[in-house]
Amino acid sequence: MSATDTAPPVAPAPPVLTARPRRRRRRSNVAAWIAVVVFGGFALLPVYWLLATSLTPRTEVFAYPPAIFPSSPTLDAYTALLENEQLFVYLRNSVVVSVVTAVLSVVVSACMAYSFSKYRYRGRRSLMYLVLASQMFPQALLLVTLYAVFSAYGLLNTYAALVLSFTTFTLPLCVWMLKGFFDTIPDELIEAARVDGSSPLRTFVSIVLPLAAPGLVAAGLFAFVRGWNDFIFALTLAGPEKQTLPPGLVNTFIGEASTAWPELMAASLVVSLPVAVAFIALQRFLVGGLTAGAVKG
Amino acid sequence: MSKSRGGRRIGSRIEGRTFAVLLVLPGLALLAAVVVYPLISAMTSAFFEQSLLYPGRTFVGLENIRDVLAGDFWQLLWQTMVFTVGTTILPFVVGFGLALALNTRIRGAKALRGIMLIPWLVPGVVVSFLWMWIFNANYGVLNAVLEGTGLIDEPQAWLAQPGTAMAAVVVAKTWQSFPWMMVMLLAGLQTVPPELHEAASVDGAGAVRRFRAVTLPHLRGIVGLVLLLEFIWNFQHFDIIYVLTGGGPAGTTQTFATAVYDTAFHGYDLGRAGALGLLWMVLLMVLVVVYIRFSEKGERA
Repeated sequence: MSATDTAPPVAPAPPVLTARPRRRRRRSNVAAWIAVVVFGGFALLPVYWLLATSLTPRTEVFAYPPAIFPSSPTLDAYTALLENEQLFVYLRNSVVVSVVTAVLSVVVSACMAYSFSKYRYRGRRSLMYLVLASQMFPQALLLVTLYAVFSAYGLLNTYAALVLSFTTFTLPLCVWMLKGFFDTIPDELIEAARVDGSSPLRTFVSIVLPLAAPGLVAAGLFAFVRGWNDFIFALTLAGPEKQTLPPGLVNTFIGEASTAWPELMAASLVVSLPVAVAFIALQRFLVGGLTAGAVKG
Repeated sequence: MSKSRGGRRIGSRIEGRTFAVLLVLPGLALLAAVVVYPLISAMTSAFFEQSLLYPGRTFVGLENIRDVLAGDFWQLLWQTMVFTVGTTILPFVVGFGLALALNTRIRGAKALRGIMLIPWLVPGVVVSFLWMWIFNANYGVLNAVLEGTGLIDEPQAWLAQPGTAMAAVVVAKTWQSFPWMMVMLLAGLQTVPPELHEAASVDGAGAVRRFRAVTLPHLRGIVGLVLLLEFIWNFQHFDIIYVLTGGGPAGTTQTFATAVYDTAFHGYDLGRAGALGLLWMVLLMVLVVVYIRFSEKGERA
């Protein structure tokens, strides 16, 4: 359970014995504010610079020293993106790959998680360790052979190569998250369904899965983000027709004589948006799930 | 799904083991095809001379591994360690500082906790683009700020100088990872019972003393966990290094991850890539064993 979940929802403790010296508290507040300003500046000033550059006219961006506030903010960089047809190819690829990854990942990890949660058989623990350990293996190394494997099956430069890879790498987190959800469903419920004559598959699909719906959504969003953010697999396994936005943006903007920084910053902002939206939707699960994983190890 | 009555009876008989195993199969097949087989195969290629471009291979025994060990292995190990230690310690300092600051009752702490997560939500390539622009040698804002405040005399090509490139990459990665550290440590801080702090305070312990005597002992488990996990992840990090510097200048930001990738996909030398990868995996396995030990200890406690 996460720390925030276990905080009792009762009125705050009566402040009887808290006759703390006021000066001390004020001093520690000052320390807190210094930390917030210094580290918060490191965190947020780059975000400001991303936004500011994306609004800077192309002619102004190659000035030194740069203007900290763009003197005549413009959306030109954003409209320029709309005129680049190749970017729409990357966008479509990103959407297709991420959505299919999300769906496939939910199906595969729900099956696995249910099996781990509700059944006992030999090899179960080793399998669970394999799933957990799979996130520890370096992807740059796996790709050395994966490239040959996908090539042998004619899957290079296809959505399938990307979706299968991404789905696999979502398993550790999605399986663990969903197992947590299934663990909270009482065994008696499944037993009752069996006694009533429901087949195991039917019990799973029409009784267990609906109860775990929030978990399925969370797992799906996570898998979507995993597919959306990936760089190395899409870079290696797909060409420009099937590549997603991250390697696509590198191809489009990096390595040219003069990078179109306002456009690149605008594109960066747009690419980050779906992740931010998914996160806001996920926040409840994520923070809880992360800390649950941490406490359990 | 079992519509017929006969099917139902079979259904209840196969309940248990067979159904449980069937459920695991799709995921297991994916893991075998995408993780287990490629991993074993990549490491066995260490013992062959093999090209990405041509089929066929010849057994060469330990030759590749000897070559790598006599070549740039130690330099790569050093650079990987510099990157990994830097990107583990710095985000920890920033994340812990923010966690402590935002665990107080300062105004806006709650909103700030959310806002500080922004860098974590940004895709890795975007982190690279943004810092590439900040570090830009000719028009970069970092040069302008440092020159304006008199800290440097002339603009620096941060990403193109052997002396500064690694530090720049570490800063960019730090920016991406500190929010995760902050979230984990904040969660840990919230498990510290406030009564302990109050009792210590009544006994006359100051903020520093309370931090050392009350907060730190409580956080030991979670601090160890986040440091270890971050270390394991950074030991194999690829995206930000590859986009920011591509391992340059003169190979000074090359780590195992980028070196294995370049050797395989730009040098087409699978034998050498496999040898590097094998040595890399041995080191990584040591870390993973430490991690498993650590989390088992945590479970028992």
